[in-house]
This record gives sequence, structure tokens and C-alpha cells, in this order.
Amino acid sequence: MKTVVRRLSGHLLRGLAMIWVVTTLSFVIIRNIPGDPVRGQYEKLIEQGMSPDQAERSTAALYGFLPTGSLWDQYTDYLNGLLHGNLGQSLSTPGTGVATLIGSAAKWTILPVLGGTLLSFLLGVTLGVYAAIKRSGKLGDALAISGSLLHGIPQYVIGLLVVAVFSTLWPILPAGGPVDIDFAPGFNGPYIASLIQHATLPVLTYALASYGGWILAMKSSVATVLGDDFIMAAELRGMSRGILFRYIARNAILPLFTILALSLGLLFGGAIFIESIFNYPGLGLLLVNSIGARDYALMGGTFLVLTVAIVVANIAADLLYAVIDPRVRKGAEA
Amino acid sequence: MTRTSAPGVRVKDLTVVYKTPAGELPALGGVSLSLAPGTITGIVGESGSGKSTLALSLLNAVQPPGRIKEGVVEIDGLGDVVKLTGEELRRARGRQVGYVFQAAQNSLNPLKTVGKQLLDLGRSHDFDDLPALLKDARALLGRMGLDGGRVLDSYQHELSGGMRQRVGIMFALVLNAHLVVLDEPTTALDMITQAAILKIVRDVHHERGLTTLIITHDMGVAAEVTDSLAVMYGGRVVEHGPTTEVLGSPRHPYTKGLIRAIPRLSGDIDEARALPGRPPTLGTIPKQGCVFRERCPLRIAVCDTVDPEPITRDARTVACHAVGRLATPVVPKEYV
Amino acid sequence: MTVTSPVAPAPISLRRNFWRGVGRVLRRKPSRMVGVAIVVLFVFMGVFGPLLYPNPLPRDDNALYASPSWAHPFGTDFEGTDVLALVVTGTRYVLLAGLATAVITVALGTLIGLLAGFHRGRWDTVLMRLTDLQLTIPGLPLLLVLSTVWKFTSPIEMGVVLGLLGWGGIARAVRSQSLSLRERGFIEAAKGLGLPTRHIVVRELLPSMAPYIAMNMLIAVTGAIYAQVGLFFLGVLPFDANNWGVMLNLSVFGGGALSSTAALPYLLAPLLAILLLTLGIVLVVDAMDEIFNPRLREE
Repeated sequence: MKTVVRRLSGHLLRGLAMIWVVTTLSFVIIRNIPGDPVRGQYEKLIEQGMSPDQAERSTAALYGFLPTGSLWDQYTDYLNGLLHGNLGQSLSTPGTGVATLIGSAAKWTILPVLGGTLLSFLLGVTLGVYAAIKRSGKLGDALAISGSLLHGIPQYVIGLLVVAVFSTLWPILPAGGPVDIDFAPGFNGPYIASLIQHATLPVLTYALASYGGWILAMKSSVATVLGDDFIMAAELRGMSRGILFRYIARNAILPLFTILALSLGLLFGGAIFIESIFNYPGLGLLLVNSIGARDYALMGGTFLVLTVAIVVANIAADLLYAVIDPRVRKGAEA
Repeated sequence: MTRTSAPGVRVKDLTVVYKTPAGELPALGGVSLSLAPGTITGIVGESGSGKSTLALSLLNAVQPPGRIKEGVVEIDGLGDVVKLTGEELRRARGRQVGYVFQAAQNSLNPLKTVGKQLLDLGRSHDFDDLPALLKDARALLGRMGLDGGRVLDSYQHELSGGMRQRVGIMFALVLNAHLVVLDEPTTALDMITQAAILKIVRDVHHERGLTTLIITHDMGVAAEVTDSLAVMYGGRVVEHGPTTEVLGSPRHPYTKGLIRAIPRLSGDIDEARALPGRPPTLGTIPKQGCVFRERCPLRIAVCDTVDPEPITRDARTVACHAVGRLATPVVPKEYV
Repeated sequence: MTVTSPVAPAPISLRRNFWRGVGRVLRRKPSRMVGVAIVVLFVFMGVFGPLLYPNPLPRDDNALYASPSWAHPFGTDFEGTDVLALVVTGTRYVLLAGLATAVITVALGTLIGLLAGFHRGRWDTVLMRLTDLQLTIPGLPLLLVLSTVWKFTSPIEMGVVLGLLGWGGIARAVRSQSLSLRERGFIEAAKGLGLPTRHIVVRELLPSMAPYIAMNMLIAVTGAIYAQVGLFFLGVLPFDANNWGVMLNLSVFGGGALSSTAALPYLLAPLLAILLLTLGIVLVVDAMDEIFNPRLREE
């Protein structure tokens, strides 16, 4: 138990350090954007007839720090605001907090990413076992090759091809937006059906993009376990095929769970391409649009949230490992 | 059909080959050996002599790219193991033949407690009375000086090397197998633990009335526990007989060399003389003639062309042209 | 084991054997020849491509989004420019940026990995924390954010930034390699012989890792190509540069290639270029793997 706590606190410390680095980076970048948007906003408001005091406060609400004052004061202001959960105000959607925008975008990212990743994980792991057992067979070979090819192709290429095939050449599924606007949002049949229809291609793309990696990882993991002494020992003790299979599967899948948790975190960043292609209003699209609209507070906030997602995924991966691997759980060296 | 008495084992003309880029190479070249019911037989030899392959053959478990090319492995109550396949073979493993692993250090699933793996074993062999199985295991572990309850609740990484080895022995015995094969059971253990394990093996052997086969490269281990001793070289049994006689008056030049090579604790280290030359590997075993001739001090012309037949005289078997010449052959072959 | 062989003739015959080995490995699987051919083709396009076409590329107002034909094998774009010409002339930026990235990634990664692996202790800890940080920072979002201050007009600039964001993987791999060499007594033996540190690193460690580093370099090239094309595709960078990503962006967000089939060839041409280049590099990596990994060669 002690070791788990120690590992966890180490992770938390490292995660905090990383979040600090990222926020500092955001701050430095926002301060160094050509044309100084913070100063620009302040001056624009004064031109519009605001008093300097008002303009100052209004700009500070946007970016989290005062437009005047020294760099150090601005920096500490910014960090202080973040510590109090204040991500600033959005410029492109006036009157809305950055946190609110991020909150409403998050659900469009989380559900498809989760669905697509779990789908490809299950598929990839199952086929990976097969590819490892039938290593010398034709089908096993084909599976491994398809895995490395899919693994090598960038997400956006897969996404564009998926759209080209299922939406342009053979139009059976919609490729834009999260839902048809004709239907009233709520828990009703047509709305949900439309949601699912619109989510199908993005989820398929997530699945295809990561499936190759799972096949390859599982294949090599199973191959390693098959060479382990305890598998042969179990065989020589006359363990039944079912039990033997469970021994192999559980030991082989263990390292993959960590990758799963980590890849969920990374996929939030990867969602940028897929959400842009499918015009899906998640965090990735939010980041791209904030840059297009020069909404720097929103940009900084989204970047921060994507980073936090990775930190959380890191910690979750470690905890997960501790739960499923008794060697870590009891805190002994394997 | 669990036997309650010790089975006898007869291996005849067993040839095991390994598939390599250079073709199929023999790891065992027509080995014949029998284990008398109720005895402890030891097999000694350098690494690569085929002793582990022979041990695995008793369970028809030679691993690919190796395979049993021909020969018979007859175990009382099981018949010819070489002919067993599928479920029949699986059931024989563990239930009738217990196997203790060379790498028993790592012979347990790291993700499950010993007890859970024991239950898996029981279910695999259709044991209805699992509590009784656990009770037997606890008793066996207790017999070996361990706290049975605690060990069953432990994961592999929580046990020391000696404890793991005892757990391995428990797994081999708990289903009441009466033939037990131990492949290098004390390698990688310290001297004290080694002695304890050997004592356990001997005691349990007598208590349960087992037929036991111990593979080792350690002449000391062989001398301590075995009743009869077989010496292997280049995939052949070159000498076999009662342990005291084989060690006391070795006949085969290889056995003599092996014994001379052992340094004695109380003697001058210079007295120990290493065997000249190197043991053959799969690829360098001569295709014809005696496999030992390159290192043999008694080499004669016939050794280059004819593989010596094992010849048995007063319960001792030797496969050597030079030795065979000296004595008058009585029975041309072991176990006809 | 000898540590150095200052005798001159040996390296020459070794090299000849090496090339013969390369030839044999390539011949064994024809697909690898194809891989080499593809990579050579793209390098040719990158070096000579812009010389083959007039600058700026001719437009044909009568043939906007023309279908594929002999004159325009992949059709034309929204202003009637030949799509194939766009792909060919766009290769230079893509490859240059990829190459610059690979050089920086490998140089930084190797240096940091070697330092960490060689000087255990505090150095190691600090450098590995740095590497962890580099590896966990979300790269693509960071690139997007960076694009607000940095316009990446030259491919070299793009390469430098991508390289600075991508050395972590190699650093970690090189460190573990040098640790394993260390474990095998490699370094201790050399130290015992009284060889200076620089000699050990340059003459003993690097050569045994060179093949590994070379393969990672190729993989880094593919990663860099994806990242830069992706950035242009997202449209966060100004379109001064001719790049496959710009084509993708204009066809998808401008030409509506995803809603009508007319602009589809315009979209597919750069995609095909990316896929082909990936395939070429994967096949070459496969061949290199076998050339440098004697264990795979045997069988």
C-alpha cells in the first residue's frame, strides 16, 4: 500500500510539473503573439469609449491577467486565476466562459474517442491473439501486415478515405456535424438515431486508426508469454485448454491495459484531425477554431485541458496496473 | 484409473530429432532405459547430452521444432505414451506423471495465487472434491516444512526460490501421480536449500511409493539420492547401473572421466582432471561410429564406424567397444 | 574480442561484403526493391520536381476541377492547375522538412540518450525527467498553439520545431540500448583497457547502435511528414508554401471534395502520395531491419 501511495504522489508531482510547464508555455505564447492581442483588446475597448479602468478589467476577464503591468505580475495573475479554476472568457463567443465552452465540447470528444478506442482494442486484441498463434499461417501473416500498414497511416488520411468511400462515393452515412438540426434534442428516437448515424464514421475512423497498433502490440505480447516457462509448466501439469488460454490471455493483455489508458489521453489530442474532418464539435475542433478566430484565451484553456487529460490518463494507467498486477499491488519487485 | 503402486517405465530405441536449417538432427539417438518400479533413477550428463529431452519424452512433451521420430515409452498403467494424443495425453500429464520443472523458479502463473492455480489444476482433471485437494496440498506443503495455508494464498513473487521449488514438487504430487520426473530440481538453489529439497524428494518418494527420475548434471546430487544411475553422452545412454557400482567402479571411459573431473572438498584440487575436448552439440554429433571417440582414451579402430551397442552384464549396462571387448557379453541388449 | 582493428584492408572488404549483403536482402523480397524505387522516385521529385514545371504553375480557367485525362492525370484544382504538378512540386517542402526533422530528432535524441545512459546518476535522472516531459506534452496541440507565433514558411524552420518536439522516443531507446551494452560489460571492458571516454562513446557505443538509430531516423521522417502535412491540412498555417497539406485543405474545406465527386481526384492525389511514400519507407525499414539484424537474416 505504501508503495502505491509513493508511486501515486510521484505521478501527481510530475503531472503538476507538466501542467505548470504547459500553462507557462501558453502564457509566453499568448504574450508573444505578433500584434499583442491583449494590449490590442485593451486599446480597442478604450477606443470604443470605455474608461481605462473598465477596459482593463474587461480585458483581464478575457485573458486572466491585466493588460498593463509588468510581465511578472501578469504571469502571477494568470497562474493565480488558473488556480482558482478561472480559464478566462471567450472572445469569439462573447459573454461565455472558456470553461463552459470546453465543458460542452468535451462530451463530443469523450464519447466517440471512448467508443472507437474500446472497439479497436477489443478487435485488435482478439485478432492479435490469433495472429500470434497462427504466426506462420497465411491469415496470421495477412493480419500482421494489415496491422503494420494501418498503424503507419496517419489518422487524417484514414479519416479522409473513410469519408470519400462512405459519404462521397457511396453515400450511406453523413459526414458532417454531430446530429441533424431537424430533430429536437432530447431523449427521443429520431434524435438518438441521428446522433448514432453521425457518430458512426468518426468512431470508425478512431477504431481503424488505432486498431493496427493493438494487433501488433497484442501479437508480440502473446508471443512473449507463449515463450514463458510457466505456460509450458501449466501444459505439463495437464491444465485444460480453456484454463491455459486464460493464463496466456491475461498475462499478455496486462501490458496493453497501460497503453490503453495512455492512448485514451493521447487520443484527445488526436481528435483534432478527426473532428476537423467530420466537423464534430469536440475539443480538437474547438482548439482549431479558437486559433482561426484568434480567441487566445480559449486556445490556452483547451490546450491546458488536453494536457490535463494526458496527465490524468498517466495516473489512471498506473493505478490500473496496480489493480490488475499483483506484483505491483503488493509492492514487490517482479 | 489412478494407480496406487509405483509404475515401471521402459524406454526403447527412442529417437528424438530437432528440425534445424541443416536438416533434422538427432538429440536422442535410439535410447533404451528402464526404470524399475519404486526406485529413484538419476540421469547425469553434460549440458546438451539429451537428458532434458529424454525427461520431456516421458510426457510426450518434446517441444517443437523437436519431435519424437521413433521409439516406445511404456509406462505401466498408461501404455505407450508416444502414441497418446489430445485429451488422453493431457489427462495423463499431471495425473499420472508429475513433472518438476528445470526452471521451477518460474513455473507459476505470476498473476494468480498458488491456491487458485491449484484449483485450476483440480478442475482441469475433473476433481469434484476441491476442498480435499486443497487439504492434500496443505498437508504436502506442511510435510515439506512450509506453512501450507500461507503458501496457497501467496503469489509467485512472494515466495523464495526454495519455496517455489517445493511448490513445484507439491504440484507434481498433489494429484497422486506415482511417476515423478524432476528436471534439475536443485539447480540455482543454495547448498542448504538444495540439501533440504533432496531430503524431501527422498522422503516423499519412500512414503508415497513412487517411481522417481531425477535429471541432474551434479554428480553429488546423483550420489546422494539415486538408487540407479544412467550416464548420458551425445544423445545416448552410455552407462547404466546401480548408483554405488557406477560411481564406485565406472566402466565406460566417459563415466570414468566425469568422476575424475569432480574436485573433492578434502582433496588436492590438482587431482581433479577435466575431461579433454568438448561435449558435442546437436550439429557436431558424429553421424556414425561412437559419439565419444574424439575424447576417448581407449579409442580403437571399430569406434570410427560402428556405434557401440549397450551390453548388459550383472545389472550393469555399458555401451563401449573397448569395454565390451574386455568382458564376455551375456545379454546383447538391455530389456529384450 | 578485439576492441579496435586499425588494419586498413579489413574495413574495405567489410564494406564490400556489406553492399553484397544489401543486394542479397533486396533481392530476396522483390517488394523491398519496390520500396527503394519509391523512395528514390520521391527524392527525385523533391530535388528536380520544381525544375520540371514553370513557376508559377499554369492555370487554365476553362478547366476548373477537370476530370482526369491524359493532359491532367489527376485532374485539375479549383483554379485549373494540374494536380500532378502540384503534388510533384510540393514534394520538396515535404521531404526537406522531414529530413530536417529527422536530423534534429536523431542528433538530439542520441546525444541525450547517450549522456543519460553513460553518466548514470543525477544526470540520468534529470535528462530522463526531461524526456518524460517531452514525451507526455501533447505534441499536435502544442504545434497548433505554436503556429500562432511561428509561421513555418521555410521547411527547415518546420523541421527544427518538429525535431525539438520529437526527440524523446529516440533518447529513451538509445539510453536503454547503452544501458544494455553496459550490462554486457562492453563499457567496463573498454574502460579497463584505459580507453578515453570519447573513444568509448564514438568508437564502441555509436557503431553498435548506428543501425538502430538509422531505422529510427526513417521512422522519424514519416512522422514528420504526417505532422507537417497535417498542420497545413488543418489550415492553421498560411498557404505561402506549396505543400500536400495545402492541397488537402483546399480540396476538403474549399473544394467540397467530401460532398461532391468532382473534386475527389484533387483530394486523392496527395493522399496517394502520402500512402505511397509511407509504403516505400516501411519497405525500406523492413529491408534495413534484416540487413542490420543478423538473427533475422539467418533462417
